[in-house]
Amino acid sequence: MKRKKSRKHRVLELLRIASQTAFFGLFLFLLLGAHYTGEDYIGSTVQRFFHFDPFLALITIVSARLVYAYFAFALITVVATILFGRVFCGWVCPLGAVHQFSSFVLKKTKFLKPPREERASLAWKYYILIIVLAGALFGLDLAGYLDPFSFLTRSFSVAVLPSLAHALSSLNGVFYGLGATGLARSISQALENWTINVTFVQGFSVGLLFLGAVALNARKERFWCRYLCPTGALLGLLSRWNLFKLRIDEEKCIKCGLCTQHCETQAQPYPNEKWKSGECVYCQNCASICPTGAIRFPFSGRPEKVTNVSNVDLSRRKLILTTLLGIVAVPFFRLTPSHKRASLKLIRPPGALPEDKFLAKCVKCGQCMRACPTGGLQPVLTEAGPEGIYTPMLVPKVGYCEYYCSLCTQVCPTGAIKKLTIEEKNKLKIGTAWVNKSRCIPYVLGKPCIVCEEHCPVSPKAIKWIEVETKLPDGTVAVQKAPVIDIELCTGCGICENKCPVMDDPAIFVTSVGETRSAKNRLLLDITKETAADPYK
Amino acid sequence: MKRRDFIRDVAAAGLALRFGQGPLAGQTPAPAGLPLLAAVEGESPAAITREAIAMLGGMKKFIGRGDKVVIKPNIGWDRTPEMAACTNPEVVKALVELVLDAGAKKAVVIDNTTNQAKRCYVRSGIQEAVKQAGGDMLFVDDYRVKKTALKGVWIKEWEVVLDVVEADKLINVPIAKHHSLCRLTLGMKNWLGATGGARNQFHQELDKAVVDLAAFFKPQLTVLDAYRILVRNGPQGGRVSDTELVKTVVAGTDPVAVDAMGATFFKVTPRELPYLGFARERGLGEFELEKVRLEKKKI
Repeated sequence: MKRKKSRKHRVLELLRIASQTAFFGLFLFLLLGAHYTGEDYIGSTVQRFFHFDPFLALITIVSARLVYAYFAFALITVVATILFGRVFCGWVCPLGAVHQFSSFVLKKTKFLKPPREERASLAWKYYILIIVLAGALFGLDLAGYLDPFSFLTRSFSVAVLPSLAHALSSLNGVFYGLGATGLARSISQALENWTINVTFVQGFSVGLLFLGAVALNARKERFWCRYLCPTGALLGLLSRWNLFKLRIDEEKCIKCGLCTQHCETQAQPYPNEKWKSGECVYCQNCASICPTGAIRFPFSGRPEKVTNVSNVDLSRRKLILTTLLGIVAVPFFRLTPSHKRASLKLIRPPGALPEDKFLAKCVKCGQCMRACPTGGLQPVLTEAGPEGIYTPMLVPKVGYCEYYCSLCTQVCPTGAIKKLTIEEKNKLKIGTAWVNKSRCIPYVLGKPCIVCEEHCPVSPKAIKWIEVETKLPDGTVAVQKAPVIDIELCTGCGICENKCPVMDDPAIFVTSVGETRSAKNRLLLDITKETAADPYK
Repeated sequence: MKRRDFIRDVAAAGLALRFGQGPLAGQTPAPAGLPLLAAVEGESPAAITREAIAMLGGMKKFIGRGDKVVIKPNIGWDRTPEMAACTNPEVVKALVELVLDAGAKKAVVIDNTTNQAKRCYVRSGIQEAVKQAGGDMLFVDDYRVKKTALKGVWIKEWEVVLDVVEADKLINVPIAKHHSLCRLTLGMKNWLGATGGARNQFHQELDKAVVDLAAFFKPQLTVLDAYRILVRNGPQGGRVSDTELVKTVVAGTDPVAVDAMGATFFKVTPRELPYLGFARERGLGEFELEKVRLEKKKI
């Protein structure tokens, strides 16, 4: 019999690559677009991707006990998966594209040699799905750590784009040195225009996790998608009914096993009865590589047997056990003191919901950090407890909250940060500034300064000056203007801390106390009377 | 003349023209009769700016054909024009047009802002105004901020924005504002926006720093925007009620005299501003307005 590869499936494979490239490009374009464009309101950017993610939708709705209208888009993905299988993973997901591309490169460079047949258990992603879902029942939102969009957006916002920008601007030094002033200038102006911040406290850990996830592809193709991705697991469970199932033409098949060897996701096309609809992402690799063109995906209305969805034995006993594990794990996350008393450095972005509600909704995607014009929004490590890792907080030493900006509130995909107009935002308090009189230059050194007062953006200023007498080491007395704070006017924006000339530990600093969103994190009896009404009541 | 000699001479002449001190370099002294200081009051910020420059003898007197001109407004804050925290965009626009009409090759507008640069450029209205006038808006580039010898009395060296230093001609376009530390921020203080580094430390000796910077940058022309001035909560204000309309532009070649004139809008006598005294001692100009050839006009 004549050997002939399927041209049709080769075309489909190329289309799939084009689709992945397009969606990755769109993702990057939208993510880069999440910055101050010259307009105060930037409309929808990359958060729309998140709304198509049924896993995020499910977990957020369950953990926040709130149906969020934008997640209606996730139904499109659900229906598409039920009809056509995991095409979302194979054709749309930008993180899947990153993994598939890096797997391809690693395979071409012989770092990765796929075995003839892979028998490793695919169970982990299902367990992850179940554990996260079980936690969500108790308001614990762990979706963001392994959700592909959250993971990719966070990695790009906090690590990949900043390090690229860093490399580019270092290169700029070389260009200026070589006299390529025009080129260097356009690069620096573009970086300023796109507002790519290069300082991130957790940039290293986020970046390392991303590189690690990519490096795992040297072990197994699309390692993440096979073993870790809870979104993939959920879609896998839905794909049982899909209408296009892999069929091998037994007459054409020469039993070479190339299809199974080069299957990206261990769906095992050969032998046909072992093919797993829950693992196949319709990448068309097998059908395209088949030397005799024996593989097709004909229309078939018959649902797949449960045992054929994956190689995982999703028996009742194991399901119950993992669910219990997830439930048992919840109290461990609740042992931190942050549930009892607010953390002083945990200054949440303006519009952030009260802490418990915020944690139930935040998916740690880091888009707010991408949008923040000063780079002040940073991923949390310890301040918010274990479920708060990589949630956003303002670190005024790095960047402050711009007075006429509400971008972080506009880009949040789940409403953990409530959308605010600039007027609404400026009525909110995210913290309170304090003067450290034992470090403040006029108070302790008797020299003029009041840089903080100059920068205070509210009018009348929340930082006023008074004249203070300072005894100097030589016994003389200096009289200088020194800052004092009107805490009712202070919004906690942190520009005073950011601009304080005392570099290491600014003499004026912001803590979270008095934040509008919290009914408990307060200090004075009637301070709430004067601050704006809480918009969340 | 041999051909070889001719070629050599032409090349040498070319080099001299390119790199040497041309006969036209440097500031031309004001001919007698023309004022050193012009203050024009009127309804249109652009018209009073144009009139003030015309009274000083026209822009061609200051700008040569082919010059790269840097115009340095105050764009320090993310504020709209009616907050009077940044220079009036129409004043900047008029200057860009005048400079380009006078034959300048390029008119670059730049400021090292306090808030995010792009926000300040956009909200101040200056980016749009400069674009319309055909000038170039430039963000300060970290690699173009270099520690430079200021040769000041107090400040010996500091990081300055190279694009400003390397300009053929320099026009300072400040706005008149209240400032809680040095009382008023006018023209000379505006040079803080052409510096980088830990410039917040300047506050510890602000009057002296202002004078050292003014002595270093030496603009051909200072055009003070006092159309709408900021009278309290300076230097950024935040409410229209923090401002007052004076509807005046002051232009001059003497930066000290311009600032002295600016102080009068706040009912502050020039003697009350220590930096004006320091500046006069340094020979940067005159703050006693009676001694300055001043011309006022209302249009």
